[in-house]
Amino acid sequence: MSAIQIIFWFLSALAIVSALMVLISKNPVHSVLWLIMVFFAISGHYILLNAQFLAIVNLIVYAGAIMVLFLFVIMLMNLNNESEPQKNVWMRLAGAVSGGCLLMILVSLVRQAIEINNKVAEMKVGDIGLIGNLGKALFKDYLVPFEISSVLFLSAMVGAIVIGKKN
Amino acid sequence: MPIQYYIILSLALFCIGIVGVLVRRNVIIVFMCIELMLNAVNLLLVAFSKMHHGIAYLTDKTTTTGSDAQLFVFFIMVVAAAEVSVGLAIIVMMYRNTHSVDVNFLNRLKN
Amino acid sequence: MNAIILSALLGVVMMFASVFTENKIAIRNIAIFGLLILLASNLLNIYTPYSFNVDLHNMLRFDSFGLFFNSIAIVSTLLYVILSGSDIVKVGNYPAEYFALIFFVLCGVTILSSYNSLLMLFLGVEIMSIPLYILTGSDKKNLKSNEASLKYFLMGAFSTGIMLMGIALLYGASGNFNLEMIREKTSIAEFGILAPLGLLLIFISLAFKVSAAPFHFWTPDVYDGAPSVFTSFMATIVKTAGFIAFVKLFSLRMADLGPSYAIILPVIIIATLLVGNITAVFQQSVKRMLAYSSIAQAGFMLFALYTSNDLSTEGILLYAAAYSIATIGIFGILIKMKDYTFDGYNGLAKKQPLVAATNTVFLLSLAGIPLTAGFFAKYYMLASALKSNGSALWLVIVAVLFAAVSVYYYFRVIQAMYFKDGDAETTEIDGTFKFVLVVLALLIILIGINPSILLRWYYF
Repeated sequence: MSAIQIIFWFLSALAIVSALMVLISKNPVHSVLWLIMVFFAISGHYILLNAQFLAIVNLIVYAGAIMVLFLFVIMLMNLNNESEPQKNVWMRLAGAVSGGCLLMILVSLVRQAIEINNKVAEMKVGDIGLIGNLGKALFKDYLVPFEISSVLFLSAMVGAIVIGKKN
Repeated sequence: MPIQYYIILSLALFCIGIVGVLVRRNVIIVFMCIELMLNAVNLLLVAFSKMHHGIAYLTDKTTTTGSDAQLFVFFIMVVAAAEVSVGLAIIVMMYRNTHSVDVNFLNRLKN
Repeated sequence: MNAIILSALLGVVMMFASVFTENKIAIRNIAIFGLLILLASNLLNIYTPYSFNVDLHNMLRFDSFGLFFNSIAIVSTLLYVILSGSDIVKVGNYPAEYFALIFFVLCGVTILSSYNSLLMLFLGVEIMSIPLYILTGSDKKNLKSNEASLKYFLMGAFSTGIMLMGIALLYGASGNFNLEMIREKTSIAEFGILAPLGLLLIFISLAFKVSAAPFHFWTPDVYDGAPSVFTSFMATIVKTAGFIAFVKLFSLRMADLGPSYAIILPVIIIATLLVGNITAVFQQSVKRMLAYSSIAQAGFMLFALYTSNDLSTEGILLYAAAYSIATIGIFGILIKMKDYTFDGYNGLAKKQPLVAATNTVFLLSLAGIPLTAGFFAKYYMLASALKSNGSALWLVIVAVLFAAVSVYYYFRVIQAMYFKDGDAETTEIDGTFKFVLVVLALLIILIGINPSILLRWYYF
């Protein structure tokens, strides 16, 4: 087992365990912290795949901004173990079983997929994930969606104010 | 790493997200599970991008194949940030009126 | 391109309008004026393609189908704002912002009618949805509106997640986001399993957006909980735009889903018709009945995915126009009613004969009675299915049977208006409102007599 493989398995295990902990934790604050662990694990994967720009953006945007927003709202509402609503056991079991079935179906389908047999996600080849190359592509080929996404931000901004402001 | 490993990893994360949406009653956690689903997709896209890049690299050393998927991930992050700001505003608005973050409140609409 | 840029700019203009004026009527008039400019610029786009010379890198493609749908959407919005504009400004404290959000939704609609890359599909869906979550929750003190907004948001975000997984798998199979390139790469006989799986996931998420059964369950609650003015907008322009996106992606690609597609789609069509029509029969509130009837109408629009020929593209455009105009009219009247139950309409014909008469036209059109636009819309859809495939006959027969069921609940409203005694209370109804209602009714009858009046523009 090479170092890369060890890191891959470690990060994968970390991601899945943390994701499960997001589900299982009763305290919402713990859920948030576990989710941040997932994001760190995924960022680790990005670095393994030589996508450094996305690794950093993932940390800044998701772990930094979005999760802080979540944490902020949870603290604002003062949620904790006691106020946490619980679904009954059967409902939870049904959800877990149906999710498991879905995973089984998807995985078995993917294992049959002949078109990706023997294909690998190259880790050492190429430098498309570096900021210079992505920046060039973003501001040349992807200029139209880049500008259009500003409409999205504008509407989100207007919306958050319309909804959030107290009368 | 074989691409199947990445597909299975991200499908596992995706399904954990779906299960979370189904079983949790706290709206904020449900929303976090949706974010988890988006992250699973991001990971898959980056893995696919490197896969296609690796194939194209064999014939052309200067190829930029695959950078489109990484930019797609970038746009997903952009949209997720906007969505979170709106979503949390809606959750806070509801909390102000009901003092609860329980999804089962939603069932009252039925009648 | 004109419509995309201008609608975004007009949204900004509306935001600034609230800075300079508090006058609600003035704000509404600015919006109407803006929509007229938008319509003009979109028409200009049809004849002179290069008003804005932008290098699109194949992200968007403007064809007559998309541009014509843009015109339908903009005209519908225009009629909607003229008809119900005075009610939009009453919803909350931010009238100008509501119009700004409506313009942003239109921006999303125009992207969805011209996308050529899955990235633009994703952005378009999001730009269309996010302002709608806000509009749904704009009645902030009303608990029903809050809950509808939250429900809509969670469903929307969830279906976005599913769509993205579909897009990722499709990318894995083809190495591209461009629709034509994907078509090329995955249309070889042995394209494996990733592409159909990805397409299936995208199909599910778009079915969520257009509320096709079994992914419809959020629709009645959200449509019922949202402020009625915005339900009108959601049920018409936004829903038809969802269908246009759906048709653009799937009309040429159904073979790729393999033989299973031939089973899945009829099942979904019949389930949608069944759920929509049968549940609508048992509703007591007209607003909720309209929510279910919009599911039933979605069942007919799904026929556009069943086949891909001239009749089905013409049919979906005709359906979009006929359905939008009629539904906008019905909702416009519904907003003026004080009581949303069927009994609330009792005796409306005596008090407001003109309003009742136009409402009858709209309802007949939705039911698909001949001489109204709805008849030809349904006819085109069913005929397109028959034309491509003779074995679709049973599906067409089932659809016609459900159309007959739908007559029952539409006629309940007509019966309440004309044949029951009562005191239908309405808020104040002014001359403009009546005038627009008459225009809408005339449009429906004109298209119903001769649909080529509308479709001629498509080939112009």
